[in-house]
Amino acid sequence: MTATTVIRAPIPRSGPPTRQTHVAGIIGGLIIGFYFVLLLFGSRLAPFRATELAGSSLVAPGGANRLGTNLLGQDILSQLILGARASLLVAVLAGVGTVLLGGIVGVAAGWFPGWFDGVLMRVTDLVLVVPKLPLLLLVGALTGGSVLGLSVVISLLFWPNAARILRSQVLSLRTRTHVRAATGFGAGTWHQMRRHILPDLALLSIAEFIPAAGRAVALQAGLAFLGVGDPTLPSWGGMIRDAVNFRAIFITSAWKWWLAPPVIALVGLIVGITLLGAAAERRLSPRLARHTR
Amino acid sequence: MTQVLDPAPSLTDPGQRRPPRSRVPYLRTVGLYALTLWALVTLVFFLPRFMPGDPLRQLDDPDSGTFLHDPAERDRVAAYYGLDKPLVSQYRTYLSDLRKGDFGWSISQNQPVSTLLKKRLPWTLLLTGSALALSSMISYFAGVTAAWHRGRFADRALIVVLSATRAIPEYAMAAALLILFAVTYPVFPQAGAQRPFANYASPMDAVGDVLFHLALPLIALTVGLAANKFLIVRNTVISTLGEDYMVLARAKGLSRRLLKYRHSGRNALLPFVTALGIQAGFAVGGSLFVETIFNYPGMGTLVERAVSARDYPLLQGCFILLAVVVLIANLAVELTYSKLDPRVRRRR
Repeated sequence: MTATTVIRAPIPRSGPPTRQTHVAGIIGGLIIGFYFVLLLFGSRLAPFRATELAGSSLVAPGGANRLGTNLLGQDILSQLILGARASLLVAVLAGVGTVLLGGIVGVAAGWFPGWFDGVLMRVTDLVLVVPKLPLLLLVGALTGGSVLGLSVVISLLFWPNAARILRSQVLSLRTRTHVRAATGFGAGTWHQMRRHILPDLALLSIAEFIPAAGRAVALQAGLAFLGVGDPTLPSWGGMIRDAVNFRAIFITSAWKWWLAPPVIALVGLIVGITLLGAAAERRLSPRLARHTR
Repeated sequence: MTQVLDPAPSLTDPGQRRPPRSRVPYLRTVGLYALTLWALVTLVFFLPRFMPGDPLRQLDDPDSGTFLHDPAERDRVAAYYGLDKPLVSQYRTYLSDLRKGDFGWSISQNQPVSTLLKKRLPWTLLLTGSALALSSMISYFAGVTAAWHRGRFADRALIVVLSATRAIPEYAMAAALLILFAVTYPVFPQAGAQRPFANYASPMDAVGDVLFHLALPLIALTVGLAANKFLIVRNTVISTLGEDYMVLARAKGLSRRLLKYRHSGRNALLPFVTALGIQAGFAVGGSLFVETIFNYPGMGTLVERAVSARDYPLLQGCFILLAVVVLIANLAVELTYSKLDPRVRRRR
């Protein structure tokens, strides 16, 4: 490598979607679509109910229990299919909540500069350094960890990222000519929001929603894994928890059908969301393509 | 926190005066962190008290098995737990107990919470500390290398591999590593931090055993952290490559190693350190999962047990301690900013 190549080689920047991100987005979308099929038709696809005694204990895959059974004789495949519900519900609810809260704070801070902006940004800084997982565990253990409760708490803890991004976009929008012209014609805050600010933020919000949803999936499973979750709702995190808590899991080969499937299901969904998110980010917020999570 | 990068001091204008060094920004930062800690500690106090229900309801309820007939007896129980006092005075007692390091009594383990925390914290600090250090080294070298070979195979391979690992949650990574390297190919131990009934012959033996047990949890935690910082280093280094000082350094005939790590790598440090601060929180969170998978005797397994038993005093103690650790790490990072880059000044 010579000096000139070092210095002259083009510096890659974010830009219009490339073929790679396009393909990644389609693959991610297909994966997520598959999981939504499980969500919508799960109760019909699953051969058993999640807690039903479907066979004897620790049956190997094959036969009536396609993916085997766990220690209690519950069908793994059914639990796996029905577990999509908890993950996807939290993903959607917490994703929407995060972007909504972040949007409210970000837009308000961006639109009303001065002390109001200052206070909101200090609060954002404050929430940003809070150790999230321990707090989620504490609040989840106290409130019981229902899907709705978890989504609310996740939204309350993770909105600062979205708020910062949306605020900077509002700050930039304020200086654009069409917004300033509208102000010049006497447009009020409400009109500006409806006609100029919020429509412009819609795509950016989607780009923020996808990673927030992915994070919520990982968090919900992680919390269920540590014991915070709705015990009546099957979830992949809960399955991993049960499997790991079974002391002989690695002495027998039960981990192959008990521990591995929920991990794979979970990673599959998160990878799908990540792929879609990467494509969406490049397409929807190219100038703000972030390098951190 | 809002770091404001002033335009770089101009070299051609030696008369330009630097703003006087003041302690106020430091105080502001420390104050903000103290405020955060206070808010969290207060939240921990008020959260259970604003939940529906009352710890003494069982005693007041004639239908429950633990109903106390004698109102004086009930009052005595309430007084014993300090629950007869007004909320403000309960809060004051709580704060002064915390200041003394008294986190209350663990219900499930029947021990002072502080005793349990003292036993567990060092292992978590070892795990998270070494994961942060190792991931920093890996991401730094990988980031500089990828930036240097940007657009080529090494760069693309690193990006694909590390972005893929970034998407995998720590517990999944830990479970996969455990299955691969402790079950299928039993190279490393499956659980614990030391071998059972360890009676070490020499300090070397002890260190070796601890490292041997640390290996898999450490890798599980490190991979995700490294992947995150890698992209930051890569992108910052790329942005430095076109700078004039790089041309000059190149023209001076400096070796490639100096160019890579001294001249361009060092300039990637600021965002890198920012990420490190943010990651202190992630690392602590991730270690809770990893420890639970590997049954590592740190805070993670303690938290897991506290959650399972709904042992609230223990859980609260864990939370406050972890919060203090994360906040101190963040504060330390922020205070090093201006040391690393003298251009960093705060507005106002």
